[in-house]
Amino acid sequence: MDFNDILQIVVSPVTAAFALAAIGLNFHYGLTGLLNMGQAGFMLIGMYGYAISVSHGLPAWAGLIIAIVGAVLFALLLGWPTLRLRGDYLAIVTIAAAEIVRIVGRSQWLKEWTGGNTGIRGKDFKDPFESLSPFPDKLIRIGPWQFHGNAWWLLTVAWILVALFALLFWRLKSSPWGRVMRGIREDEDAVRSLGKNVYSFKMQSLVIGGVIGALGGIVFAHSQAVSPDSMSRTTTFWIWTALLLGGAATVFGPVLGTCLFWALFVLIRQVGPLMLPNLDGTQVEPLALAFVGLGLILLIVFRPQGILGNRREIAING
Amino acid sequence: MRQATLSSLTRNTVVWRALAIAVVVALLVFAFLQSASAADVADTESVAPGTNKFLQTVMKGTIYGLLLALASVGLSLIYGTTGLSNFAHGESVTFGAATAFVAVGAGAPLWLAIIIAVAAGAASGWFQDVILWKRLRKRNVPNMQQMIVSIGLALVMVNLLQIWIGPDKVRLVTSSPVDRQFGPIALSNFDLIMVAICIVALGSVSYFLMRTRLGRATRAVSDNPALASATGISVNRVIRVVWMMAAALAALAGPMLALYTGTLNFMLGADILLMMFAAVTLGGLGHPFGAAVGALVIGIVAKLTEVYSPAPDLKNASVLAILILTLLVRPQGILGRKERVG
Repeated sequence: MDFNDILQIVVSPVTAAFALAAIGLNFHYGLTGLLNMGQAGFMLIGMYGYAISVSHGLPAWAGLIIAIVGAVLFALLLGWPTLRLRGDYLAIVTIAAAEIVRIVGRSQWLKEWTGGNTGIRGKDFKDPFESLSPFPDKLIRIGPWQFHGNAWWLLTVAWILVALFALLFWRLKSSPWGRVMRGIREDEDAVRSLGKNVYSFKMQSLVIGGVIGALGGIVFAHSQAVSPDSMSRTTTFWIWTALLLGGAATVFGPVLGTCLFWALFVLIRQVGPLMLPNLDGTQVEPLALAFVGLGLILLIVFRPQGILGNRREIAING
Repeated sequence: MRQATLSSLTRNTVVWRALAIAVVVALLVFAFLQSASAADVADTESVAPGTNKFLQTVMKGTIYGLLLALASVGLSLIYGTTGLSNFAHGESVTFGAATAFVAVGAGAPLWLAIIIAVAAGAASGWFQDVILWKRLRKRNVPNMQQMIVSIGLALVMVNLLQIWIGPDKVRLVTSSPVDRQFGPIALSNFDLIMVAICIVALGSVSYFLMRTRLGRATRAVSDNPALASATGISVNRVIRVVWMMAAALAALAGPMLALYTGTLNFMLGADILLMMFAAVTLGGLGHPFGAAVGALVIGIVAKLTEVYSPAPDLKNASVLAILILTLLVRPQGILGRKERVG
């Protein structure tokens, strides 16, 4: 077994991207109790918005704004029909909308813009960000970690973003605004009877979490490339598992959960073949994923508050 | 809200049904006009001579819709009786197809393989309820959390199915069906048998729900579990039967979908899960006949998009767009009762 692989994945930019998405989901689910099953869709919107604008010659800041505006519009579009309805409608619509984004993205129809099912190559949009890098353009080793200079730059920025949004969550959670949100999660009707516009508050939560998810998408695109099929339904389920593992409604839950999730995922992929030698190469990945599902079930049944959470706080009943 | 007067309810429902039918008819007419203009361009690659491409597409869509109905009725029954949106229902479909595939591989004739698949499906429904769902109900786990559990179950099942039947597309039968001409449409023997099986199966379900004692108990549980329990109905027994029925129907739909599309893989059910949700929502959540109506509409629209739209790979996207529009315009669905869903 190789512990270096595990250490490597824990700090890698992909993990940071998923941590951002999980923080976004924490605004939805942990703070407001919204069941957004389409976080991967927000990530896709973010990466398409940024990569398409930058690869067509716009500056990076414009790409960033377009990605954020895209995520805001997407959230408004999803929230509009569903936030007045029972919780599982939002779940079905978000999962459907995320699939629509993926299907349209990989369709041959818009190939000129989205690159069809092969997506957009990294070198078409990574330059503006990587040219800012203070790290030399070579492999650098710091402690047990070894990354390329650009990856170091990306993961520095990404983890700073993670820290900033965790801080934002911490401040907002205990603010008057956050208390209204938590009130909505516990008892929507009670908050409505206090004269609060529940619909508008839920929409704000959906927008904020979605924008954070879109930023996670941009980070993900920089660590690999824009590829629609890497952001499927399963991706959303990973983010959910990570969030619930760490503890919804807590500040560090999503971050801890994401790191643990990836560490365990790599661990299972390494240990699985040792334990079950009959498994051939193509069966290791599905086995690891089956364990993710099992983990999700066991978490909800036995420890819905996750590692850091408070059981009384997270008794969500849509 | 539920105690709306009977007359107003009926009038409302009639108006909405008429509207829904009108929308469908308008869609079909629109598509027909499109096809009439497209016929001049003469793309005869996909249809045999003497076949009307539009009618053929609608017919194929209807068959697809019937298969989808078979798969979705169970989803709707489970939602109706337990309030759970079961995201693992697609895997029940795949499980049926995979079981039939393995049975055929072991030398069973196709009809026997399908019967084995249905039996295995019913058994898996029973097993799921005993191992998982009954316990969750007993612990009073909220529906939203049960939904996340079903997502976890879907992840477990889809990956185990992948390990079981492998990652590749496989064929259930090696022979490809021969089309026969029926006036302007061409159908294979498989198509005819599938239509017959679907109609018999859906007919039995409605007979069960409307005429048998257990079926009436099921509808009572759907309506109000506490009241049903108070009148002496064993709610847990009813729900167990519903789980078995739902999984068995899905397992029946699995091999037939595999025959319809020609191939199957471990994603067969996961790929149509959202179509099933769209069908169930369009028809009215928890309303089993609604699911069937919704599935027919969805099946026809999906096929029409596939054949006529400039981007055939947007087939699923068009269906999901219908889902979102339904929620905007009429969240209770075509057959659903007008009540507050929030």
